[in-house]
Amino acid sequence: MEWYQIMAVISAFLCITLLTAKLVNLIKLGLPKELSQPNGSVKEGIIYSFTGAMSPKAKESAYMHLPTYLGGIVYHIGTFVSLLLFPFILLLADKIERVPDMFLYITAAALTISSMAGAGIMVKRIVTDNLRYFSSADDYISNILTTAIQVVTALMLIDAVDPVLYYTTAALLFVWMPFGKTKHLLYFFFARVNLGYFYGRRGTWPPIKKN
Amino acid sequence: MVTQKIDIKKPLEILSRGDDSKLETNMNACVKCGLCAESCMYYLAFKEAQYVPGAKAELVSSIYRRYNTLAGKVAPALFNAKELNQEMAEKMVDMLFGACTMCGRCVKHCSIGVDIPYIVRKGREMLAAMNMVPATLQSTVDAALNTGNNMAIPQEEFIDTIKWMEEELIDEMEDVNARIPLDETDKSVFYTLNPREPKFFPLSISAIAKVFYAAKESWTISSKYYDVTNYGFFNGNNDQAAQIAGYLHDEIHKLRGKKLVLGECGHGSRATRWEGPGYLKKKFDFETITVVEVIASYIREGKITLDKSLNSSKVTIHDPCNLVRNGGLYSEIRFVVKSSVSDLQEMNPYGEDNFCCGGGGGALAMSEYNERRIKIGAIKAQQIAKSGAKVVITPCHNCVDQLQQLNHTYKLGVKIMTIAEIVADALVINKQ
Ligand code: SF4
Ligand code: SF4
Repeated sequence: MEWYQIMAVISAFLCITLLTAKLVNLIKLGLPKELSQPNGSVKEGIIYSFTGAMSPKAKESAYMHLPTYLGGIVYHIGTFVSLLLFPFILLLADKIERVPDMFLYITAAALTISSMAGAGIMVKRIVTDNLRYFSSADDYISNILTTAIQVVTALMLIDAVDPVLYYTTAALLFVWMPFGKTKHLLYFFFARVNLGYFYGRRGTWPPIKKN
Repeated sequence: MVTQKIDIKKPLEILSRGDDSKLETNMNACVKCGLCAESCMYYLAFKEAQYVPGAKAELVSSIYRRYNTLAGKVAPALFNAKELNQEMAEKMVDMLFGACTMCGRCVKHCSIGVDIPYIVRKGREMLAAMNMVPATLQSTVDAALNTGNNMAIPQEEFIDTIKWMEEELIDEMEDVNARIPLDETDKSVFYTLNPREPKFFPLSISAIAKVFYAAKESWTISSKYYDVTNYGFFNGNNDQAAQIAGYLHDEIHKLRGKKLVLGECGHGSRATRWEGPGYLKKKFDFETITVVEVIASYIREGKITLDKSLNSSKVTIHDPCNLVRNGGLYSEIRFVVKSSVSDLQEMNPYGEDNFCCGGGGGALAMSEYNERRIKIGAIKAQQIAKSGAKVVITPCHNCVDQLQQLNHTYKLGVKIMTIAEIVADALVINKQ
């Protein structure tokens, strides 16, 4: 393994360790200990929190901002794909020629599109007063790193980037992830569980069909 | 302007408690996408970035990061980790007390699911620990702590009002057994009121008395501890919230009531039904239920008969945030209203998606924010006007108060009524 690969692996290990520690701690902390009598199903509330409540029809943040919403979805898919590809690129780089070119180019093109969505979100943050008002350096750095990993992954797939740049970008992202905004990949799930628990036991979720 | 020196130890302890995963989660979940802006009436009314729900949450989260995270301690500038100082605390007072009714509308529309009112309440707890609760709100809490009701109505005055209402009821029902029983023991229903009722709207007491009379309910009101409100929920002082919740808890035991029935008050119902056991750190050994649910049960069980044609004007419903979005009463309210009126026109949006009237979160008690409160109420006023309704029904006396003011300011020309009032008007009573 080259020095830059070792650096990326150590960063990934650090990232996974810190996020796992946070995960274990959150699980240990558990849900609020409610003493009131429930009036609905916690289980159904939590299921709805991850399903119907996430539907674009249910959220103004989605249906009133469709381009941003769709851009965000594409961007997040691109992020997950890039993260999933990291171990394959690291461990199977020498076997990459066995993968059909077509597949590599399509994936690279898709990642280019998702990284453009990330760049668009960045531009929006820069030009929108409401966002600039409460954005910090972390918001910009997280966005840059998450966009960058998609760009370098795309280039790596088509053998158009120096591996040093790819692994350095990955290492930076892994180091940043547990500290910066990117850690919401973990907190998102706990936020949804807590909401489902809250609205479920109060009988608000799942909502009754309006007529 | 608050000028006293602040002690940050106690407020910071509030952000360090690891009771459950909710605090850590909500302090770390916001991605600052700003997509919640249009879900908040403050932002819609003022179009300023500081009113974006995520920006209000960030005030508290930034302090959390500064004192509770490694990143915030090592590189505060990178992570917007802020110190809790006088300037920050004053900004928090303005935004968390003066620019959020804790309605929760932003929560369901947030792209992540950040619980903004939970964060705002944490911020208020911090401010309460620094003695920085707006004086007007604190005086409302103090009145409840000292007298048992938030309007400091003397007990004799309250008893006089109830006796007067009882005489009216006896006359109307032509029955000496038509009572408003005070301080009676071993009754099924221990009923509670918003002190605005004896003070300003005594007819709503007659209305519910008429419903109980028609249903042949066994009920009573305490002459001392009848106040369903709990502004300790709003001022962020959990000890005071517990003391106020304890008044009702102890009184129902003293009178050996079976069921605590919460009068028409959104936050009071929430603070008692949902938060009260938490404040008192014990499960209630009596049933706690809202009057809306009780009336719905009378209708379902045939204990009362209603004639919708007696309420023929077009009505609309204002859903109190704490009863519907945060209390799950959407369908019960609809069931009761639809059983009582012949022409219901919903607002848009409504139900769990409703806009707050603008008077929640203790806003009605904080006169320093009156101008803001009336301005954000324009959204509700437009909804009412667009519905074309002549009557607005809402099971919350705080909402009634705000809606009355909106009615006057925006010249809506509507009548504001509670559920008990609209049901009482539809009652078919066979006089005994
Ligand atoms: S929508 Fe949610 S995640 Fe986005 S800024 Fe608002 S509170 Fe934060
Ligand atoms: S809870 Fe209501 S008032 Fe507060 S920020 Fe959210 S939408 Fe606005």
